Amino acid sequence: MQTKLSVMSIALLGLAVSAQANASSTLDTVKARGQLICGVNTAAPGFSSVDSKGNWTGLDVDVCRAVAAATLGDAKKVKFVPLSSPQRFSALQAGEIDMLARNTSWTMTRDTTTGALFTAVSYYDGQGFLVPKRLNVKSAKQLNGATICVQSGTSSEKSLADFFNTNKMKFKTVVFDTTEATQAAFFSGRCQAYTTDMSDLAGARINSPKPADYEILPEVISKEPLAPAVRRGDDQWYSIVRWSLFALINAEELGITKANVDQKLAQDKRPDVQRLLGASEDMGKMLGLDKQWSYRIVKQVGNYGESFEANMGPNSKLGLPRGNNNLWTQGGLLYAPPIR
Amino acid sequence: MIDLRSKNKPLIGDESYRAREATRRRKEWFWQAIIFVLTIALLYAFGQNIYENLQARDIRSGFAFLSDRSSFEIGESLIPVSSNDSFGRMFLAGMLNTILVAAVSIVTATVLGVIVGLMRLSNHPLVRFLGVAHVEFYRNIPLLIQLFAVYLVITEFLPDSFDPLMFGSLVMLSKAGLHFTVPHHLALANVCAFLFALVAGYFCRRFYIQRVTSLMATLLGLGAGVLAGLFIWFVFGCVFGWSQPKMDGFMVSGGAAATPEFLTLWIGLTTFTSASIAEIVRAGILAVPQNQWRASEALGMTRLQTISYVVLPQSLRLVIPPLASQFMNLTKNSSLAVIIGYPDIVSVGNTSIVIMGQALEAIVLIMAVYLFLNLIIAVVMNALNARVTAAPK
Repeated sequence: MQTKLSVMSIALLGLAVSAQANASSTLDTVKARGQLICGVNTAAPGFSSVDSKGNWTGLDVDVCRAVAAATLGDAKKVKFVPLSSPQRFSALQAGEIDMLARNTSWTMTRDTTTGALFTAVSYYDGQGFLVPKRLNVKSAKQLNGATICVQSGTSSEKSLADFFNTNKMKFKTVVFDTTEATQAAFFSGRCQAYTTDMSDLAGARINSPKPADYEILPEVISKEPLAPAVRRGDDQWYSIVRWSLFALINAEELGITKANVDQKLAQDKRPDVQRLLGASEDMGKMLGLDKQWSYRIVKQVGNYGESFEANMGPNSKLGLPRGNNNLWTQGGLLYAPPIR
Repeated sequence: MIDLRSKNKPLIGDESYRAREATRRRKEWFWQAIIFVLTIALLYAFGQNIYENLQARDIRSGFAFLSDRSSFEIGESLIPVSSNDSFGRMFLAGMLNTILVAAVSIVTATVLGVIVGLMRLSNHPLVRFLGVAHVEFYRNIPLLIQLFAVYLVITEFLPDSFDPLMFGSLVMLSKAGLHFTVPHHLALANVCAFLFALVAGYFCRRFYIQRVTSLMATLLGLGAGVLAGLFIWFVFGCVFGWSQPKMDGFMVSGGAAATPEFLTLWIGLTTFTSASIAEIVRAGILAVPQNQWRASEALGMTRLQTISYVVLPQSLRLVIPPLASQFMNLTKNSSLAVIIGYPDIVSVGNTSIVIMGQALEAIVLIMAVYLFLNLIIAVVMNALNARVTAAPK
């Protein structure tokens, strides 16, 4: 009897002491692991999608690769974890991923209550509607009483309700778990409209059986700034991810591309260029990285403009215009703080 | 065995036995109490750990969100809800949707399951084959795939919502669902019809209970109840007028609707569960001794009479516990609604998690709802079981 009691109490004590999660920094964890674990979308053309050979491409994918190049020295040392909308913040909170680059809209609720911290906007998007042309609808304000397909786990439902309430219109929703199911239901005619971010609508239209039969309505009913997110409580990691994205944008502003980075390093004597390429001051030290952190980003991934052109630009399958996602010097909203 | 506690006079016989039993029971209680306290302590430690972790990461916790404005709409609901209603009301709407589809599917699955089970025991080879085919097909394909398939078929082949198939002016079938005519003041009509159906069914059963078996009497009562309910609906319609479905821009105004999502879930759950129920019914019938069949035959009863009056009532003892299990499986399987867009409690929970960010509390609520519904099923079926297995008076 004595041994039984003591064994049980020791077991319980062990369980009780077992633990608060270990608070080592994310940078150390990533370096020790030798690989960056990045949470991405299951299939978002232009942002993160995988081809039949297992190669990931997209804007979010490139942001992850930039962080890997800066911290680990190799843009290929990334493991991509596809996440559905309901899972994404839980995965980040639990430590299963180091950063979340999953075309996630930066909103106040998400920034404050989910334990995540958004770094910087990588894509300025908005929510819109996709309708079949035969409905003869020219504006979203004509959609009174419509049935609308929407995906659960996104900020779309709330913006949709707000828009319809403001304009005193009624609507019904059919809510699905996955993007594929939502789009299948819309294209089979179950709903009269499909709502999600404009970039997703463009991708959906391309993937539909008859793209010419559908059109995107002009109304943009909400602001959806897409930004990568990190866990709260690690300021250094937050700065690293943030400034990796800023490095991509600054590189485009300074005219440095993947092709000409070595030439610029040798010949361009502008102080901004020199600092970005690690030729003059050591800016990486302030992030806990080495001097070549931003040089590697441009050399291995390119700049923001190159990534945009390749993944979703006017010449790609998605065919999206730069619009708001152009540099501030070109009339867009991308304005990265200077690296100095 | 000599009891050494009392040194004065060793206990023997009955007294010794009683003393030993008392000691044994005391020891049992002591250990059970220790384990119980440790379990409670463990659960408390877990809860405390979760709470502290949430606090440390700045994640909001607590159930205060239930009174916040929900700001989302759902596709269908038994109670009127809108994006201005609270999360609590939305969860209630989701729970009612779950109960509706589960209750309706349980009834149809049982009916279909009993029929198919009896088909497998038929003398006719074609009837037997159809029974086997039904069971093997629906039992072996995962429910998720079946739901996808049914939903695809329903949404592809139903007529477009702007060009519906009309059955007179009473019923409208389109991709937006099956819209049918209902009387005005539908909620009141439903309540009156339900109450009248209960009363009519009860009295009908009482009338027949002396004349046929208890099972037959119950079925006749059920049938009478349904007819009575429909009669009340008809009366309401004649008195207050009918609400007929009509196209009104993008939506259908008037009438009540069974959406494609509801129909898919109903059909999918019914066929899938009926396969298992058919096997349970077959097992129950085969467990009734062969002599019962022979004796009924000797008395000149037809096969149908034998099954209705002699075999089925005796098979109920074996059938009811697994049947309870199948009903609970059906209720839990209804959570797959989230895949095809039916707004049940899981779907509402998922949307709420996105909007207010508290995944843990929403999941706890969903689990509590399913636990509650399944406990009700368990209690009812246990009571039924007790009645059926009661020793003859």
